[in-house]
Amino acid sequence: MRIVIAGAGSVGAYMAEELAKLGHAIILLDNDAAAASRAESIPGVTFVLGDACDADVLAAAGVGEADVVSAVTGDDEDNLVVSLLSKQEFGVPRVVARVNNPKNEWMFNDMWGVDVSVSTPHLLTALVEEAVTVGSFVHLLNFEHGKAGLCEVTLAEGSPAIGQRIGALAWPREASAVAIIRDGHVMPPDGEFVLLARDEVLVLARSEAEDAVRAVLIGS
Amino acid sequence: MFGRKKKDDVSETEETFPALASVSPRTHVRVRGQVFKLRTRPRQGMPALEVTLVDESGSVTVVWSGRRSIGGVGLGRRIIIEGVPAQGPRGLTFTNPSYELL
Repeated sequence: MRIVIAGAGSVGAYMAEELAKLGHAIILLDNDAAAASRAESIPGVTFVLGDACDADVLAAAGVGEADVVSAVTGDDEDNLVVSLLSKQEFGVPRVVARVNNPKNEWMFNDMWGVDVSVSTPHLLTALVEEAVTVGSFVHLLNFEHGKAGLCEVTLAEGSPAIGQRIGALAWPREASAVAIIRDGHVMPPDGEFVLLARDEVLVLARSEAEDAVRAVLIGS
Repeated sequence: MFGRKKKDDVSETEETFPALASVSPRTHVRVRGQVFKLRTRPRQGMPALEVTLVDESGSVTVVWSGRRSIGGVGLGRRIIIEGVPAQGPRGLTFTNPSYELL
């Protein structure tokens, strides 16, 4: 796949290197000449010097043929402009943008051309919450512009799901158990699988189904 | 970007337009169609005008962000739009194309 990455800081340079190793064609964009010298040492990555917020620079970098554009500069305004231009001027099918300040996260949606946003503070909070909480509902990731998400519940002692077969639980429509983690092992969510306390249940659900999932795994 | 052209080039020199059904994603095109459906679709406080444009062959979706209405763009109105469409959840979608009222 042809991937254009805007922002050659530590995040962009790392992504470029990893994705190039996986065999993708990577174009890395930055307006900083110092970033160019760093980027030149990355094998398999084409560096383009220029302002990624300029549609002509994006065109020259081949955004018109890119499968994915990822805006990962340290500046949220720049990331939004790159996302909007990629969608509006080049019709890029998938635009992934980095949120630096969580206060700006609400803007990273399809109005600005963003298909997927990644907020490090948000992700860290979710992961810490996941690590310390038992018996509560934790959002790990959002898909489809937040309409669906991957959620996690570690079953507390009083959970109504304990001792039940997964297939016997009253799962709502638009929700699916995708895996159980027990003692560090990942188990497929077979209908005959009987849940125990401390099991971590991973559920993929649309947002409107979340309350019903809570009722199934946590109780009211 | 949010460009708007005046209809100064309506010199009735019969311009031909590709059929909406023949438009492919990611190519810069200039197409003509009739406004078939209008709706405002606010996203977290940001207004957006979503228009379905039709011709004899098919339809495309046009989204203008940041606004609830555009003067002259009403149901049944024929307009020309120019931009690069992307494949979206509602089919082929133009985002903030330039437009001309006919």
